[in-house]
Amino acid sequence: MQALDPIFIGWLLKTTLQMATPLVITALGGMFSERSGVVNIGLEGMMLVGAFTAVAGTYFTGNPWIGLLFAIAAGAAMGFLHAIVCVKFKGNQIVSGTGIILLGAGLTTLGLEVIWGRKGVSDEVIKIPDIPIPGLGQIPFIGQTLQIAIGSLSPIIVTMFVLVVVCYYIMYKTPIGLRIRAAGEDPSTLDTAGVDVDLTRIIGVVVSGALAGLGGAYLSIGFENAFGKGMTDGRGFIALAALIFGNWTPVGCFLAGLFFGFLSGLRYAIPIQFPELTGFSNFFRIIPFLLVIVALAGIRRSIPPKAVGVAYEKEKRA
Amino acid sequence: MSDLDAGNQAVQEQRPPESILNRLKRYVEKVLNSVDSMMRNPAFRKQIIWTSASIVLAMLVAAIIMVLTGYNPALAYIALIRGAVVQWDRVLFYATPLIFTGLSVALAFKCGLFNIGPEGQLYMGAMAAAIIGYMVSLPIVVHPLACLTVAALAGFGYGFVPGLLKAYRGAHEVVTTMMLSYTAILFTQWLVTYPLKEPGEFQWIAQTPLLFPTAWLPHLFGSDFLHAGLIIALFAVVGVHFLINRTVLGYELRAVGLNAEAARTAGINPKWNIALSLGIAGALAGVGGGAEILGYHHRFRDAWSTGLGWDGITVAVLGHNNPWGVLLGAIFFGALRAGGNSMQVNTGVPQEMVTVIQGLIVVFVAAPRIIDWLEKRGIDYSAWIRRSPMGGIGHLATTVWAAGSAIEAMIIISFFLEKTPFAGLLVALAIIVGFYALTKLLAQNPAGPVVSLFTAVEWILIATVAALLGSSDMVYFTAPTAVIGIAVSLMTVMSSRASTQKAGGN
Repeated sequence: MQALDPIFIGWLLKTTLQMATPLVITALGGMFSERSGVVNIGLEGMMLVGAFTAVAGTYFTGNPWIGLLFAIAAGAAMGFLHAIVCVKFKGNQIVSGTGIILLGAGLTTLGLEVIWGRKGVSDEVIKIPDIPIPGLGQIPFIGQTLQIAIGSLSPIIVTMFVLVVVCYYIMYKTPIGLRIRAAGEDPSTLDTAGVDVDLTRIIGVVVSGALAGLGGAYLSIGFENAFGKGMTDGRGFIALAALIFGNWTPVGCFLAGLFFGFLSGLRYAIPIQFPELTGFSNFFRIIPFLLVIVALAGIRRSIPPKAVGVAYEKEKRA
Repeated sequence: MSDLDAGNQAVQEQRPPESILNRLKRYVEKVLNSVDSMMRNPAFRKQIIWTSASIVLAMLVAAIIMVLTGYNPALAYIALIRGAVVQWDRVLFYATPLIFTGLSVALAFKCGLFNIGPEGQLYMGAMAAAIIGYMVSLPIVVHPLACLTVAALAGFGYGFVPGLLKAYRGAHEVVTTMMLSYTAILFTQWLVTYPLKEPGEFQWIAQTPLLFPTAWLPHLFGSDFLHAGLIIALFAVVGVHFLINRTVLGYELRAVGLNAEAARTAGINPKWNIALSLGIAGALAGVGGGAEILGYHHRFRDAWSTGLGWDGITVAVLGHNNPWGVLLGAIFFGALRAGGNSMQVNTGVPQEMVTVIQGLIVVFVAAPRIIDWLEKRGIDYSAWIRRSPMGGIGHLATTVWAAGSAIEAMIIISFFLEKTPFAGLLVALAIIVGFYALTKLLAQNPAGPVVSLFTAVEWILIATVAALLGSSDMVYFTAPTAVIGIAVSLMTVMSSRASTQKAGGN
C-alpha cells in the first residue's frame, strides 16, 4: 500500500514533530500559568511576540541563538505584563489575556513596518541550524523511516523533549512546583504556610510567557526563516486546547500536543497521499477544537485547577 | 374603528390637553434627571473615571512607543482625531458590527458568562445570511429580513450549544466559545472554498456568488460605506437595554449572573437561563455578521471579518457591559479605526499603532486598580513633595534624564548594534539599571539617587568603550549623557540628603 511507504511515514513523523513542537512548548508554558492559578488565553499574543523578536534579534545580531534569547525575554516580558495586571492589580484575567493577544498582534505588525518597512513578511534571516544525526540509516527495517523523520533535527525539537522531562520534574519533584500547584488549587493554605502567593503566581506567568516566546521562536527561526504577519495562525489557541486536553499535566500536554501536531501534519500529507480528500483538510484542523469541547463536556472530564481565574486576596484583619 | 375613536376622545376629554412642547419638556427633564442621578452614583462615576483614565494612559504609552520608533505622537493624534471627525460615516460604518458583537458579549456577561466567541457566531450568521441572500429569491423588503432572521437563528444555535454544555455539563464557556470560533472560521472557509464557491473558470478567490440586489441593505446619507445595519444596531441597543432592565427574562438573567444559587432558591432555572443568554448573545453577533454581508460586502468572502468579534469583547469591556456603554465604545473604536487610516496616510505612523492602543486600553481596563494605584501614588507623591520640595525637583530632573537617556540609547542601539554588539550589550544594561533607578526613585526609596549615580558611571564606561573602539560618533552620543547624568544624580543625592536631614531634624 502506498500509505505505508516508509518514506511517507518518515515524512509524516517529521511533520508531526515540526507541527507539535511549538504546541507542546507553549502548552507547557500555559501549564505553569494555569497551575499557578492564572488563566492565560494570551498565549497566542506571547507566541507572536516571541516569533517576531526572534527574527528581529537575529536580523540585528546575525546570530539566531541570540535571537532565541531575545524571543524568550520578550515572551517573558509579555508574561510579566499579564502577571502584573492579573496578580498585582487583581485584574480580570480573561480581559487582560484578550489585551495581550491584541497587543501582540499590534506590536509585531508595527515592528514589521518600523524595521523592514513592509506589512506582510520580514527579511529572511539565518535559521537555527539543524543537528544531523548520523547512522540512522544503518538500523534494519525502520532505518529509512527514522533517517527521514529525525535524520536532521532542529535543536528546539530536542529542547521540547528535554522540556517535557524538566517540567515534569519541576512540577512534581521540587518545592517550587509544589508551590505553583498549591497556588492554583488552594492559595490560602499556601499563604498560611508562609509562601508569597502573588510571587509564586508571577513566576508561573512569567515562565509561561518565556516558554510561549520560545514556541513562537521555533516557528520563525527554527521552522521558517522569516516572520510573517499573524504567523502563529491560532497555534496559541491550539496550545491552550492541548493544555486542557492534556488535563493540565506535562505528559498530557506532550501527548495532546503531539496528537494535534499529527493532525496538522495530516493537513499537509493529505494533498500528496490522498488527493481526493484534499477538500476536507479543514476538518482535520477543526478536530482539535472539537476534541477539547468533548473533553470538557464529555465522558473523560478535564478538571481545571480549582482556584484558576480567581485573584487571591489576603484576608484583612477587621 | 368608531368605538376606538370615541374612546380616545373620552381620554382626551378627561385629561386637560397638554401641548406637545410641554410633554417634550417633561420627557427631557425626566431623562436629564436620570442622567443626573446616574452621575451622582459613585460606582458609575468610578467606572467613567477608570475607563477614561485607561484610554488616556494607553494613549500616553502609545505616544512613548511612537517617540521610540521615531514618529511625532502629537501630529499622529491630531491626524487621528481629524480623520475620525471628517470621515464620520466611516466611523459609524466600522462601529456597526462592533455594536452587535459588543452587545453579544455584554448580554452574556449580565448572566455571568464570558462569551469570547462572537467571532465564530458572526461568521455563522454571515454565512447563513449569504446563503439565503444568493440562493433564495424573495421580494425587496422581505429578503433582507429573511436573511437576518436566518442569521440570527444560526448565531443563536452557535451560542446555544456552548450554553447547554455549560449549563448541563459544566464545560467552561470561555474555552468552548473560543474553540467554536475557530471551528466556525475553518468551517465557513471550507464552505466558500468548495461547495459554495462562486462558479467560473477563472475565479480563484474563495467567495460565494454575489447576493441578489433585493437582499442588499440600503446605504445611509449617500455614504459609500454606512448602511442600514446601523439602524438595526441602534434598535438592538435599545432592545437589549429593554430586555435586561424591563423584562422578566432580563431580571432572571441578571439574578443568575449575580448569584446562581440564590436565583435557584427563588425559583429561577439557572441552567435554562445560562443556555438562553448565550444563545441570544450568539443571535446578536449573528445578526451583526449578516448585516455586514447584506450592507457592505454583498457576498461571503473568506476571512472578511478582520477580528470584529474580538473587538466586540474589547468594546463590551470598555462599555462596562452596559448597552449604551457598548454603543459609545463601538463608536470610539470605529473612530480609532477610521482615524488610524488617515493617521497612516498623513503622518506615516503605521495603522497597526491603533491595534496597539486597543490592546493597551484593554489591559488597563482589565485592572481598574492600576488607576487607583496610580492615583494613590500621585496623592502620596504630591504630599511628599510638599514636605521636601528639593527632593521633588531632583526626582523630576532625574526622571527627565532617565527618559532622555533611554531615548538616546534607542538611537545608539539602532546605529551601533550591528557594528559593536558588545557596546550594544552595555547600553542595554545601562538602560535596565537606569529603569531600576527610576523605579527606586518613584518608590521614594533612598537608594534611588545612588542607583542613578551608578547608571551615570555606566554611561561613562560606555563612552570609554566607544573611545577604545574608535567609534567617534558613539562618543559624541554617550559622553554628554554621562556628564549630564552625573551632574543630575549628584544634585539629587545632595538634595535628598538635605531633605532626609531636615526630616531627621523634625
